[in-house]
Amino acid sequence: MSVVQRTGEVRKWYMLGILGGLVITGQHLLKNLFQRKKMMTINYPEEKYEYSPRFKGNHVLTVKKDGSLRCTACMLCATNCPAECITIVAAEHEDPSVEKYPIHYEIDILRCVFCGFCEEACPVDAVRMGPEWQTPGRSGANFQYGIDYLAYRPQLKGGIQTFVDDEERHKAGI
Amino acid sequence: MPKCTINGKEIEVKDGTTIIEAMHHHDMHIAHYCWHPGLSVAGVCRLCMIEIEGMPRVQIACNTVVTEGMKINNTSQKVKEAVKWGLDFHLINHPLDCPICDQAGECGLQEQYMEYGKYDPEMAEKKVKKHKVVDLGPTVVLDSERCILCSRCVRFTTEVSKSNELGIFNRGDRSEIGTFEEKPLNNKYSLNTVDICPVGALTSKDFRFRQRVWYLKDAETVCNGCSTGCKVQTFFNKEGLFRVKPVYDKEVNGYWMCDDGRDLYKFVNREHRYLKASHREGSGWTQVIPGAAAKEAAAAVTAAGDKLALVLTGQYTVEEYEKIVSIFSKDLKTKKIYHWLNNKETVNSFDGLLIRGDKNPNTKGLLQTLQKHNISTAWSELESGLASGAIKTVVVAGPENHAFFKDIEEKVQLFNKAGTVIWLQAAKNPALEKLSGNAWIIPMKSYVEKDGTFINHAGQHRKFKRVTTVVSESLTLGEAAELLAGHQIMVKPESNLLVEADRQADKVTVEHRKKNEFVFKRGAL
Repeated sequence: MSVVQRTGEVRKWYMLGILGGLVITGQHLLKNLFQRKKMMTINYPEEKYEYSPRFKGNHVLTVKKDGSLRCTACMLCATNCPAECITIVAAEHEDPSVEKYPIHYEIDILRCVFCGFCEEACPVDAVRMGPEWQTPGRSGANFQYGIDYLAYRPQLKGGIQTFVDDEERHKAGI
Repeated sequence: MPKCTINGKEIEVKDGTTIIEAMHHHDMHIAHYCWHPGLSVAGVCRLCMIEIEGMPRVQIACNTVVTEGMKINNTSQKVKEAVKWGLDFHLINHPLDCPICDQAGECGLQEQYMEYGKYDPEMAEKKVKKHKVVDLGPTVVLDSERCILCSRCVRFTTEVSKSNELGIFNRGDRSEIGTFEEKPLNNKYSLNTVDICPVGALTSKDFRFRQRVWYLKDAETVCNGCSTGCKVQTFFNKEGLFRVKPVYDKEVNGYWMCDDGRDLYKFVNREHRYLKASHREGSGWTQVIPGAAAKEAAAAVTAAGDKLALVLTGQYTVEEYEKIVSIFSKDLKTKKIYHWLNNKETVNSFDGLLIRGDKNPNTKGLLQTLQKHNISTAWSELESGLASGAIKTVVVAGPENHAFFKDIEEKVQLFNKAGTVIWLQAAKNPALEKLSGNAWIIPMKSYVEKDGTFINHAGQHRKFKRVTTVVSESLTLGEAAELLAGHQIMVKPESNLLVEADRQADKVTVEHRKKNEFVFKRGAL
């Protein structure tokens, strides 16, 4: 850190600067006292700010109509991730029309930079970035989010349904 | 010797060469699916289109023979149009499910449709649904929807493996590759069909869904599965080795390799390896660092005098044999060097294509080295020596690929008679836990971790380079021999595991970092 040391007569005029600062502080105090609606700050955590629906928060893995994971374990999100925070282990599904699915999908949320590249890379709308942004945890908390958390955490109320439906696509002949 | 001009470049080819062969030899790019240099010409994919001056229509390069003065072009607009619409026919029923498909990243069709921008087929009709995940046999899975019916795999089973398991069934757009009833694709070369499949229709059960191909790095080496010595490519990343594929070698393996050879990456991975040396004195095993264990064992070896014997298997390189045999015969002055041959009955068998009965890559190299040092011993001498007490210390260079060493347990019992056994081996084997008395197990480097030469059945020298390092502190047989003879040598452990052999090491050392003033001062604040 560098501190500017002034010498000479200028040093004696510091009081003006301090008073000027106090005036600004006083102005804000009075404004906030008499016009509370225009106050810039909120009383977190009692009050919470409403972000836009496009906000990129914690990840959500979407599910199909039957509640199973939409993800096909193609690894495009993991390939695209600049922070390398996604780990996927793929396996063979019993249903030949599903073929491949993840048995292990993990996001290390502390490494994640919330860039949204995973969402962009996903060809089947399986991973989205949701509205949640509060991720508190005590020391020892688990910040390695697995499938249970990403797809079926209680806040999602049974899972978010995907836009891409295989059956409809098959019927359309794609 | 006709001369022709391809894309403005004049080249001379042998009589009877097709245009695609000529282009292939001169490294010119031409798209092709059904043509494969190791198979016959089918001419079904219609993708290797070329324009010949004087001919009204485009021709296929794979079935047109070069004639004198031919002027050939495969970069013109006419050719591009022909390829583009040919591609569209391939994509009519192809599902384009590249994200799930295991071939994505090394797929011929993907490359082409990306080049021509055919992300969506231009057909209004619905796609014909075919069978998915068809179990063709113990090694291969078929996805008929992805198949473009190039018939490479069918031609492979009729021409190369000569087992005729595959065929094309039904007609028109309902054609499918399949096997005959109660005759699955079950031959020793079945996984070659997966290699030559230009799309993701045939996938290997072993490799399926384990890694995306773009995460893998590859390096060439020589297969250590048998005395043929095929040239192969190993694919690996930070998690280990994942698969082995053949590389074209005119003199030895051509374009193919056997299924047994493809399993040989498995014992190289860390979970199947001895990571530390173990030493047994009295009852329990203690873990030691390999170099230190070899130094400890040196006392026993040098004290043994003429009661020392060395047992070698044919799984190490010529250079290593040279080193260990010269050290044992000159420095340690023992002529008791024996060759452990595992399968005497089948050693000369050959299946007519690649697989040989001698499951050691370097038996010939070992025999040549022994001959060079004038060592001729019989296995029965070792047995009688052990029984009579003339041999008290045995150094065993064990087999790293021990799938074909069925007698390993027997041999452990035999060597236990000696009292002191120093067993050098790369891959774990439960039989070695039965070593009794004073015993060491010292981890060796496997064939992907060292440079060297194998001499194959025909006496060809098969040189290979280090692929990567899997176990950092393991020793080569040469290093182990030096240490066992009590020589002082430096064995540097490799700290960068499972990276390419030619990757440059990080040049910024800790000392450099400490000297960096900016980092240093910032730390002080």
